[in-house]
Amino acid sequence: MRTLKNVFRKKIRALLTIFGIVIGVFSLVVMGAMAEKMTLLVGGGTKFYKDKITITAGDYSSIMTSPLSIEKLDQLRKVEGVKEVSGGVTMILDKELSSVQMGVPAMIEGNDGKGRELDRKDFPMIMAKGRELRDDDIGKAVVGIDLVKKLNADIGKKIKVRDKEFEVVGIRDKTFTIPDTTVRIPFAESQKMFVETLPEVLRANIDPSKVITGATVYAADGVNADDLAKKIESSVKGIKATGPKKFQEQVTSAVAIFNAIIFGIAMISLLVGGLSVINTMTMSISERTREIGIRKAIGASNNKIIKQFLAESAMIGLIGGSIGLFLGWVFVTIANAAGNESGTALFLITPRLAIGSVAFAAFLGIISGLIPAWHAARMNPVQALRYE
Amino acid sequence: METIIKAKNISKKYKIGKNNFVEALKGVSVEIKKGEMVAIMGPSGSGKSTLMHILGCLDRPDEGEVYIDGKRVDNLKNKEINEIRSKRLGFIFQGFNLIPTLLAIENVSLAAEYAGAPKMKSKKLSEKVLEKVGLKDRMRHKPSELSGGQQQRVAIARSLINSPVVILGDEPTGDLDTVSSDEIIQMMRQINKETGTTFVLVTHNPEVAKVCDRTINMRDGKIVS
Repeated sequence: MRTLKNVFRKKIRALLTIFGIVIGVFSLVVMGAMAEKMTLLVGGGTKFYKDKITITAGDYSSIMTSPLSIEKLDQLRKVEGVKEVSGGVTMILDKELSSVQMGVPAMIEGNDGKGRELDRKDFPMIMAKGRELRDDDIGKAVVGIDLVKKLNADIGKKIKVRDKEFEVVGIRDKTFTIPDTTVRIPFAESQKMFVETLPEVLRANIDPSKVITGATVYAADGVNADDLAKKIESSVKGIKATGPKKFQEQVTSAVAIFNAIIFGIAMISLLVGGLSVINTMTMSISERTREIGIRKAIGASNNKIIKQFLAESAMIGLIGGSIGLFLGWVFVTIANAAGNESGTALFLITPRLAIGSVAFAAFLGIISGLIPAWHAARMNPVQALRYE
Repeated sequence: METIIKAKNISKKYKIGKNNFVEALKGVSVEIKKGEMVAIMGPSGSGKSTLMHILGCLDRPDEGEVYIDGKRVDNLKNKEINEIRSKRLGFIFQGFNLIPTLLAIENVSLAAEYAGAPKMKSKKLSEKVLEKVGLKDRMRHKPSELSGGQQQRVAIARSLINSPVVILGDEPTGDLDTVSSDEIIQMMRQINKETGTTFVLVTHNPEVAKVCDRTINMRDGKIVS
């Protein structure tokens, strides 16, 4: 209580200083929430792909997804060490990708279901509502939870996927990973849909039921998936095989840079906040020189003086941190709600981020208060008492 | 009677400017007996405040030795000095030196807390002492809401709270009108008589000297009589 009173002796100054910390923690929370979401997505991905190999067309270009012949699946199955191969189609949900796109875009997915049993072992698909897609379903779809709003989906309701109507039979529970923003449709229908995206010249000669965009290879037990990926690339022509190690390298390095930039920005704003705490504490201590002299004259030890001022600067950090966290949470909630319309929830405030950022602000307050407090404690009582 | 404070040959120089020193004390020796009430008088700059600061462990001498209750204190570590200041000594100042943001009772109990008493106990004790100095109904006021005489009584209560052996005063009546001044002088004398607490009072006020057992006169950093 006394500490709180002392902090707010000069109200405007205290509020401005706290505001500095608020901005720092706010940016730490918002940026951190983005990084946490990204880390979770990547974590889910690398876990999913740890014993799998992703197959894409050899002439893979980032502009458009190249088709792969379904015959490749049989060739892949023949490679030694392959347990199972599952072919499928994945494509971006929106016909035209908006140029300003952050996070992971919403996807359409269809596959032959060959890997379902194997996938479910490690990643059980829990349905929030309804059921999973069956092989004999036609015109049905299962929707990831983050797409419910965007597609206006509900069980039994019709949704439009690339201008085609599908009946929703299931909504997947939250996984915090890519399935949250994916619509699953029957394999055959996904193949047709994909062929329609191809240039007209190509379309005529292609049988949609023979086309896939990629495949997932499951390594047999005891087979190193990275070695297998190399073997596949050398024995099957016209494909690119990405093993778990390569996948992880690509993704983690990208995420590491992203996270470094994000935390860098947040740290700079916190550093500025910390400097303003030092400034405030220094001013407040010089204004209270005489008071410090009195306290020492009536028997306050140096430790007591240091503790008093550290408590004050920690209080500034704690208040600023809490307000910053709250504002960050408000911002993230609003931004995610807005993002939900387009199926991209960008932010995730994890408990470690929330606790960590407030604790860090308090810690920053203490660190910033150290030098001024030490200075105060070392004052000579006689000189401090003479100070006007 | 036993000696409570003893100073042997103490000197103190102050630096003012780069190579300019002021010799505030030039080899002063003084002895004060337990239960005595002593006034230290002298013109401004005679070194009387410096002497009080050194006897009160607020400052250290450059040379010489200081004993309180038989214990040498001038060479103690800061921590031990704090301990002595808080438990064995009390201070009253000219400008009252109360903490403006704290209530009267908080100003008093702070001294008890610094001496290690728990908060609740400090508060209870402070109420008692404030009652004794006649401020029972002014305890929950801030210093700015009290008159000069009342503020100085809060300061006296604060100096008394840890039952010190010596109370040191630096011009305790300096900022008071004559009525309040007389009140404070009488109060100090009464406490001295009732509790046997030793008082060492630096003062310009002859009325203070009048009630004291003896007066030490200083001039130019030396005791003259």
